[in-house]
Amino acid sequence: MGYGSTVKVPFGPQHPALKEPENFLFEVDGDIVVNVTPRIGYVHRGIEKALELRSYIQDLYLAERICGICSHAHTTCYTQGIEELLGVEAPPRAKYIRTIIAELERLHSHSLWVGVAAHEVGFDTLFMYTWRDREAVMELLEAISGNRVHYAMNTIGGVRRDISAEKTDKIRSSLDFFEKRVQEYLHVIRTEESFLKRTAGVGLLKKQEALDFCAVGPTLRASGVKNDVRADDPYAAYGEIPFEVIVDDECDVLGRTVVRCKEMLESINIVRYALDKMPDGSTRVRVPMAVPAGEAVSRVEAPRGELIHYAKSNGTTKPERYKVRSPTLANIPALCKTLVGAHLADIPIILAGIDPCFSCMDRMVFVDVAKDRNWVWTMQQLKRNTSR
Amino acid sequence: MDHATVEEEHVEMNVFSELQLLVFPGMLFLFCLAFFYEWVDRKFFAKVQNRYGPLYTGPFGILQPLADFFKLLSKEDIVPLASDKILFTLTPIVYVALPLTALFFIPISEQTGLISFEGDLACVMFVFTFMVVTVFLAGWSSMSRFSIIGGVRAALQMLSYEIPMGLALAGPAVAAQTLSISSIARWQSAGSRWGIVLQPIGFAVLVICMLAELEFVPFDIPEAETEIVAGWRTEFSGRKLALFRLGRDLELVFVSGLTASLFLGGAQQASFLPPIATFLMKTVSVVLLLSFLRAIFARFRIDQMISGMWKYLLPIAVLQIVLIEFGIGR
Repeated sequence: MGYGSTVKVPFGPQHPALKEPENFLFEVDGDIVVNVTPRIGYVHRGIEKALELRSYIQDLYLAERICGICSHAHTTCYTQGIEELLGVEAPPRAKYIRTIIAELERLHSHSLWVGVAAHEVGFDTLFMYTWRDREAVMELLEAISGNRVHYAMNTIGGVRRDISAEKTDKIRSSLDFFEKRVQEYLHVIRTEESFLKRTAGVGLLKKQEALDFCAVGPTLRASGVKNDVRADDPYAAYGEIPFEVIVDDECDVLGRTVVRCKEMLESINIVRYALDKMPDGSTRVRVPMAVPAGEAVSRVEAPRGELIHYAKSNGTTKPERYKVRSPTLANIPALCKTLVGAHLADIPIILAGIDPCFSCMDRMVFVDVAKDRNWVWTMQQLKRNTSR
Repeated sequence: MDHATVEEEHVEMNVFSELQLLVFPGMLFLFCLAFFYEWVDRKFFAKVQNRYGPLYTGPFGILQPLADFFKLLSKEDIVPLASDKILFTLTPIVYVALPLTALFFIPISEQTGLISFEGDLACVMFVFTFMVVTVFLAGWSSMSRFSIIGGVRAALQMLSYEIPMGLALAGPAVAAQTLSISSIARWQSAGSRWGIVLQPIGFAVLVICMLAELEFVPFDIPEAETEIVAGWRTEFSGRKLALFRLGRDLELVFVSGLTASLFLGGAQQASFLPPIATFLMKTVSVVLLLSFLRAIFARFRIDQMISGMWKYLLPIAVLQIVLIEFGIGR
């Protein structure tokens, strides 16, 4: 099987299997992938620079918009870092509220993923059902925060809204409904023969490989590694809440699906426990505008895995340097490893297996194949051509 | 009878049979039926998935397939630079013509099809094969990587389901001792012995093969959206895509009509119900069965599909023929 007998199949930047622009160039020998070249950086938004140009309060809203699914994870990570620099700590009640929102977010993120995974293997009925039931969680988040996606619950020094007693009852009843549905999905995933055929043994990532390639989150836990920031380095109220870190040693896409489903059940229990044990008291402390000079690294277990924020302050109202390491970036090397040797037809489900959320960089280039030239538009040309 | 009367009668016959071909139960009726069955399929599929399905165009969205068709007709028709222009233009037309021709063999409004001869069942099997060849050529002529993979997958898929399908189609023919679809349907309705009762295994095999023929889940491998965009149809747009969609709808009518004729007694007179009414009832139930089946599975991979067909479906289809030879199911 020489190099000449392979076919190059591009995946993306525009492809139905990818919900965001990202390019993977596959070298395919027959139906088997022999090499993968990822090219990340199609959605560079300059968000780190933008964070450095704005004040800490404005950055709160910008950090929320790094991701549309795990918006709360990013603000939690951001506020924790800034609180550390300021030397303040959020009140206990605020920590519990942060935990509850984070787990609700995990519920909607994971159920969204289960739907996407089902769609990638052509099981559209499961996709429709999970997304219908996910609405229960979205409505809860809307009832608590007023928003479905960007909840804007966190602020530096606490949370902006309290959870009232009647909302607590609503959360409990919705979670009872959602728990039954998740158990149903777990049953379908483990018994539906055509789904098993497409996921069992697909996208294998052995334990040692997962560690070597620094995989994070459910991808790592599905390879049998017990690693979860919530348990290893507890933040918010996780230190006071008993919960189990879900691991699975199947090492394949099926394992990743099962881990996420079981994590949903675990999240429901965490929310229930937090609602029961939520202490009374204030929900935020007032903090000054300027942050003393220093450096802070903050870690959070986002639904997709370990999220790291780094902040460097210089005593003014704006950060000097800000860095975000999202879990998808950490999973890309492991992803490329699992794709080699896969069937062409299995690429979408393996790609989706890490729950990718691409936010990287590139600029626009025009290519004319017939005349063999390429060029870049200036800002003025862009304005002229888009405002027609 | 003098010469002029014979001539006149001949002209009248011609006008009548041409009307039959063009209007009822010919092309116009079949086009309407094709759009209607697409709506039935989409609506039922949506209901199974707890969605609404087509809703706004016409009552219950019944005109949505027609609206889609006209919308596509008005869209830009892009021909890729690298494509084989002749094949690229011809394949959509052939793809509509083939199931339309084959539908004339199916008894719809009376107990005999518009065209019927001893051996039209073999002709229908040829049409099935040729449709896949058209699909392969359509994918190949587009010169797009996704289209070529889709076309190759369609051809591979055909190689695996064609033989079980042929055996399943042969079952009723052996039982009725004829190779004419209309005669097989008449034989069933005359003796009140439906193929589905006599040869349930053959019916199951045929339904599975029809899912593959129609490229429905779990066999929508040649046009797997998340893997190869739209498969062999990726490069087609505008009128050509409209024709492919119409061809697919006609194929759905044809597949349900053939299943009804061979296994459900075909268009028979049932007390006061005319043949067309029983034909519609039977074919709609076949369409509902097919769209229910496509809602409850995930898509197979091409290698899983091929090995499954050869390992399990082919022996089952052979078993049915052996049973018929031993006098069970005839």
